[in-house]
Amino acid sequence: MISVALIGQPNCGKSTLFNQIAGYKSLSANFPGATVSYTKGKTYIGNDLIEVIDLPGTYSLSWYDDAEKETIKALFSSDIDVIINIVDASTMIRSIELTLELMSLGRPMIVALNMMDEAENKGIYINIERLQDILGIKVVPIIAKKGKGVKKLLEEIKNAQNPRKRCIYSKNVEKEIKKVTECAKDNIKNVQWPCKLFSIKAIEGFGPCEKFFEETECKPLLDNAKNALNNGLDIIQERHALCMNIFENSAKVKKIRKKSIESKIDKFLMHPVFGYVFMFAIFILIFYVVFTGGVPIENLVIKAFDKIDAYLASNIHNKLLFSIVKGGIDGIGAATGIALPYLFPFLFIISILEDVGYLPRIAYLMDSTMHRMGVHGVSVISFVAGYGCSVPAIMATRILKSKKEKYITAFLASLVPCSARSIVIMGLAGYFLGYMYVMGLYAFNLFIILISGIILKKLLPGMSPEIILDIPPYRLPTIKTLLIKTWYKIKDFIYLAIPMLIVGSIILTLISYYKFDSYINVIFTPLLTGVLGLPAAVGVVLIFGILKKELTLIMLYQALGLSSISMVNSVMNPAQMLTFTIFVMFYIPCVATIAAINKEIGTKGATTITFATLVLAVLLAFITKIVSPLIV
Amino acid sequence: MKLEDGKKNIKYKILSIEGGCRSKDRLIKLGLIPGSIITIERSAPLKGPFMVDVSGSKIVVGRGIASRIDIEEIF
Repeated sequence: MISVALIGQPNCGKSTLFNQIAGYKSLSANFPGATVSYTKGKTYIGNDLIEVIDLPGTYSLSWYDDAEKETIKALFSSDIDVIINIVDASTMIRSIELTLELMSLGRPMIVALNMMDEAENKGIYINIERLQDILGIKVVPIIAKKGKGVKKLLEEIKNAQNPRKRCIYSKNVEKEIKKVTECAKDNIKNVQWPCKLFSIKAIEGFGPCEKFFEETECKPLLDNAKNALNNGLDIIQERHALCMNIFENSAKVKKIRKKSIESKIDKFLMHPVFGYVFMFAIFILIFYVVFTGGVPIENLVIKAFDKIDAYLASNIHNKLLFSIVKGGIDGIGAATGIALPYLFPFLFIISILEDVGYLPRIAYLMDSTMHRMGVHGVSVISFVAGYGCSVPAIMATRILKSKKEKYITAFLASLVPCSARSIVIMGLAGYFLGYMYVMGLYAFNLFIILISGIILKKLLPGMSPEIILDIPPYRLPTIKTLLIKTWYKIKDFIYLAIPMLIVGSIILTLISYYKFDSYINVIFTPLLTGVLGLPAAVGVVLIFGILKKELTLIMLYQALGLSSISMVNSVMNPAQMLTFTIFVMFYIPCVATIAAINKEIGTKGATTITFATLVLAVLLAFITKIVSPLIV
Repeated sequence: MKLEDGKKNIKYKILSIEGGCRSKDRLIKLGLIPGSIITIERSAPLKGPFMVDVSGSKIVVGRGIASRIDIEEIF
C-alpha cells in the first residue's frame, strides 16, 4: 500500500484536502494550527488502496512548537512513500521555503498548489508550467475546499518523482556549508536528516540540530561558518530571495483597484474600540440564540415525554419493569430533547467562528488582557474552543510554546463551561431563573478565569512568550462543511453519552427502587447538604457528571425522584439551583478532559487541575449559597 | 527606530531582529526577515500587539517583540 503524507504550512488547507480525499476525519478550521495531531485515512486510486496521512502544519522542518515537532517526527519515522506538499498560492513566497526544504529530502513528491481562487482574488496569476520547470517537481493546481483538481492530484501520486533539483546558494555560502557538511558526514551519526539540510539548520541556530555538534570535532567548523555567514542570516536571506525569484518568474501580479472587503471588515472587527464592542456583542448573541432556541424545544420535549411516561404508568403494572423502561425512555428523551437543542446550535456556531477566521482576530484583540494571565493572545483559541468541548481546547495548547503558557491555558480552558456544562447553565438556571442569570453566570465565569489566571501567573515561574500569529483571510465556510463538522463533534455524544445515559437512568431507578439511596447519600450529605445546602441526592449525579458532563442535568431530576425536569423547582429553590449550577460550572473536568490534560501537560498538572477545580467549585458554591438568598 | 515606534501605513524596511532566538526563528519563517519591507496596519490598545503586512500576509506580533525589531523608513 502506498503511503502519502500531506505536508504544508499552517492553514494552507491540508485537512480540507484530506477530508476531500479520505472522508471527513480531520477537523479543519481557519486558523494556523487547527490540526495538532496526525490523522490517517484511506482511499482508492483506481484499484489501489492508498493511505493518506494528514499532518499538523509546519512552517519549516526546524520545528517551533509541539504540533510542528509531531509533523517532523512523523515525516522521518514512518514509511512515507510520497509527499504531497500543499502550497497556499496566495502566500506562495513563504510557502515555497518549506518546499525547498522538502526537496532536499530526495523523496518522491508533488506540489499541490491550493487556494488558486484566493490567489486570483489577490491578483496573483501563477503559470503552473513555469513553476513546475523551476522547481523540478510536478505541480497540480487545486481548490481543496471545492474539491477542484483533487482527482488529478490523486492520479499523479503514482507518477510522483524525486525532485530533479536542489536548492543551491551562492558560491561563498555553499563553500561554508560544505565545510560543515563534510565534517558532519564523517563524524555525526544517527541523524535521519539529509546531511546538508542538517548542517544548514545547525548554522541557522536550530537547537536540536546544533546539539549534535557539541563535543565533536565539527564544532569549531560550525562556529566558523556561523561567523562567516552572519549566524545563518546570509543563508536565510538568500533562500528568501530565491523564493521571491521563483515567485516573480512564475507569477504575474495584477494590481487590484478596490480595497479588499477583508480590510474593510477588519477595520470594524479589529477596531481599537468597536472591535471589542463587536466581540462582546457576538458572544452575547451566541448565548442568546442558543438559549432562546433551546428553551422552547426543551419545553416541547418535556411535555411529549411526560405523556409517554403517563401512558407507560397506566399500561405497565410491574413496578420494577416500569421503573427500568421509564429510566431508559427518559434517558433517550432527555438526551435528544434537553441536550441536543443546546449542544447542536452551540457546536454549530463555534464551528462557524472557527471556519470564518474570526478566532485569530480575537487573539489579536485579547492579547493584552491575556498577558495579565501570563499567556498571550493565541490562548484565546483554546478558550473559545472550550465553549464547545474541553478536549480539543486542551489539545490546542500544543501550538503554544512555553510550559508555563501551556499549563495556564490548560488550567483556564478547563474552567470554560463546555457545551455540556452550558446545558446546566441554560437548561436549569436559565430555564427556571431567566436569561439574565445565564448571562450573569457566563460573566461570572469569565471573571473567575481572569482572577485564576492572575494568580497562576504569580505562582508559576518563567517568562511568558509573546504572540506571533499569521492572520488568515476571512473564508466563507459551506453549510455542508459546517454540518459535517458539527456532526463530527456531536457524534461522540450520540454514540457514547446516550448509551451511558440510558444505563445511568436505569441504575438510578434501580437505586431508588431498592432504596439504596439512603446509603449512598450518607457519603455525600456532609459536603453537599452540610456545606452547600444541596439535596444529598445530587451526589450521584455529580459523580456521573465526571464521566460525561452531558449527563448532569438529565440525571438530576431522576436522582431527585421527579418525573420531569419541569418539577425541579418543587424540590430545589432558586438559591440551590444557582449553587448547583456554579458547582457544576467549575468542578472536576470530565474523564476525557483529564486524560487530555494528562497527555499535554503531564500527570502532575492533571492531578493539580482536578483537585484545584474541586476546591474552587466548593468554595464558589459555598459563597453562592450564602450570597444567593439575598439576590434571587 | 524600533517597530514599536513606527507609524501606521508607512513603508519600513526591517534592519535587524534582536535576540530571543526562538521567536526570531518564527518571525523569519513568516517573512519578517532583515531586508523585508513591511507596513504597520494597526495596533491594539492597552499595549496590545501590532499587525503588520509583509508581502500580502498579515502578521500579528506582540509589543515586546516589536520593541526588538529595528526598522527604517523607506521612500
